[in-house]
Amino acid sequence: MTYLLEARSLRKQYADKLALRELNLQIAPGEIFCLLGQNGAGKSTTINLFLGFVQPTSGAAFVNGLEVAVHPLEIKKHLAYIPENVMLYPHLTGLENLALFSSLAGFKYPAPALLDYLTDAGLPAEAAGRRVGTYSKGMRQKVGIAIAVAKHAKVLLLDEPTSGLDPKASNEFSELLRRLSGQGTAVLMATHDIFRAKEVGTRVGIMREGELVDVRPTTALNARELEQLYLTYMH
Amino acid sequence: MRVFWILFAAEWRHFRTARGLVLLCGLLLATGVYGIYYGTTEIARQRQQLAALPELTRRNVDELKVKFPGPADAGDIGYYHSTFAVHHPDAWAALSLGLRDVNPSYVKLRLLGLHNQLYATDNANPLKLLSGNFDLAFVLVYLVPLLIIALGFNLLSAEREEGILPLLLAQPIGATTVVGAKLAFRLTLVLGLAGLLSLLGMLWARLPLDGRVATWLALTVLYCLFWFGVVLVITAWQRTSAVNAVALLGVWLLLVVLVPSLLNLGVAAARPVPQGLELTIRQREEIHGGWDRPKTETMNRFFALYPQWRDTATIRERFVWRWYYAFQHLGDQAVAPLAAAYAHGLQARYDLVERLNWLSPAINAQSSFNALAGSDLPTHLAFQRSATHYHDSLRAFYYPFLFRQAEFTHADYAREPRHSFTSLAEVATARRGLPTLLLSVAALFGLGLLLLRRPIAPR
Repeated sequence: MTYLLEARSLRKQYADKLALRELNLQIAPGEIFCLLGQNGAGKSTTINLFLGFVQPTSGAAFVNGLEVAVHPLEIKKHLAYIPENVMLYPHLTGLENLALFSSLAGFKYPAPALLDYLTDAGLPAEAAGRRVGTYSKGMRQKVGIAIAVAKHAKVLLLDEPTSGLDPKASNEFSELLRRLSGQGTAVLMATHDIFRAKEVGTRVGIMREGELVDVRPTTALNARELEQLYLTYMH
Repeated sequence: MRVFWILFAAEWRHFRTARGLVLLCGLLLATGVYGIYYGTTEIARQRQQLAALPELTRRNVDELKVKFPGPADAGDIGYYHSTFAVHHPDAWAALSLGLRDVNPSYVKLRLLGLHNQLYATDNANPLKLLSGNFDLAFVLVYLVPLLIIALGFNLLSAEREEGILPLLLAQPIGATTVVGAKLAFRLTLVLGLAGLLSLLGMLWARLPLDGRVATWLALTVLYCLFWFGVVLVITAWQRTSAVNAVALLGVWLLLVVLVPSLLNLGVAAARPVPQGLELTIRQREEIHGGWDRPKTETMNRFFALYPQWRDTATIRERFVWRWYYAFQHLGDQAVAPLAAAYAHGLQARYDLVERLNWLSPAINAQSSFNALAGSDLPTHLAFQRSATHYHDSLRAFYYPFLFRQAEFTHADYAREPRHSFTSLAEVATARRGLPTLLLSVAALFGLGLLLLRRPIAPR
């Protein structure tokens, strides 16, 4: 069995803080793994380790079977990333930003295809030709989603991707994740939204002080039980 | 490589929308054009001045012909007649004026003692001299680095601070490619501007398109590369835009202002040059003392230098010109060691600066440009030597009249020697600057690339 994402005894120690303690995690194709936890619990550190933005103190992260530290460029062909706060070139239009990031990822889309990606992500068509400097946070988030989708990556790394999105857009995003999961994409999503995690995730993991303290399949719990479980760990 | 060009093209779009930078480039272009205008008009003014000198000499001769209608005593002519030692600029001096503003482009000479004439200059505003020339070389050496700093201080930190970097680095592109493309775009821009200005200057000044074109351009390219090397190292150091800006301006201040000033002070201390005042006083004392010394003493000292005039008539008159010129000559003799020490001292300072110019690429580039244009100190010293020889030849022309007591006729004016000296480009000196620059460029890029091997922090 090849996992698309794998962490083996992954550990990150900062001078003053242990950010991640011996993380072992496997995520298979089609899985949507939601990381829950308070701020500073290590969710973002985990994602940054998979991205290669942070170097592990010990252990290793693998993307599509490739060790991140050894193949820092190669792995980025296989993953797409949506940060909590998508920032783009403000003087370019949404369309131009998408075209630029897609071409950097190796794709060359005709303008109508680019527009489709943006509207599919929920961006109004009239906004696509406007400078991103005029966008709201939610609109930038949608361009970020379009950039990630247009990359056709096997792995999605999402760091609170729905922050700034209204409930309708969040819901559409969940739909999108389900669709991608159906196509075999593995998703690792850090979130604070327990209910959405339950709704869209296949498994949830609860992190506390750098440690993954529990992992449950979402089918085994309902949202209330998950919330109770979460709160127990936080006390 | 494909990604490189995508990023390169994106940089162009980012640049186009950054109004401030576009304005800055336009400003540099405008100052460059002004620099070329300044240099070419200054050289044209000097040329015009030099071209008027033969007319002045001719008028002076005409006046003397009226004053002395018949055959005259050559002593009178030598006293009242003035001629000029002229230093014609090389055409390249229009792009790099060098010392042509501080040092006179001509010296007015009479048969009197040389040394109080050789160092005479026109009055000039010392404040203006202090600030230096606003020629193209100034724009390239002092201002272009500032443009490079303005273009490069936030090379990568801008994206980091705007939060774009995480998304950018999540794409399969290496840090070297990102930084390389950004650097390459700015390099193209700056070299385009510097090259455009250089070519414009060459056409405007109607320069002979000889091998010096390549040397000038090579110096310009390497000097710009040096500053891009500094930008690369600072970028790879991965600090905030503000820290980068301060660091880059600090390096500019250090290499363009501080090191040259300190080097100037240090070299002046290490290679002392006799005071001009001392020379002037010595010569004046010798010459003015000449009136009071016994004539035979003066003449015997003079004959020791010119034995061929020893058997001329003994002086019994109260005043005779050959005695007057003899003590003028002895005045020069008395300060000859001081004058030589002065010239040697200046040359020694220049040599020391040349040896130490690796300390600052600004000094290196400036002195190489000046050498290329023949507007530096060695050229001026060569002119002074040439003027000294000319004065010698004037003496050689007049002394037979004085000592043989031959009459100076109107026809003799035309036989008087004339002087002309044209700056010679020191291409070899200019080219010596290239390997030093190349070495520092290689060192900076090596260090920068080494630092870039560390992972780039996206936040």
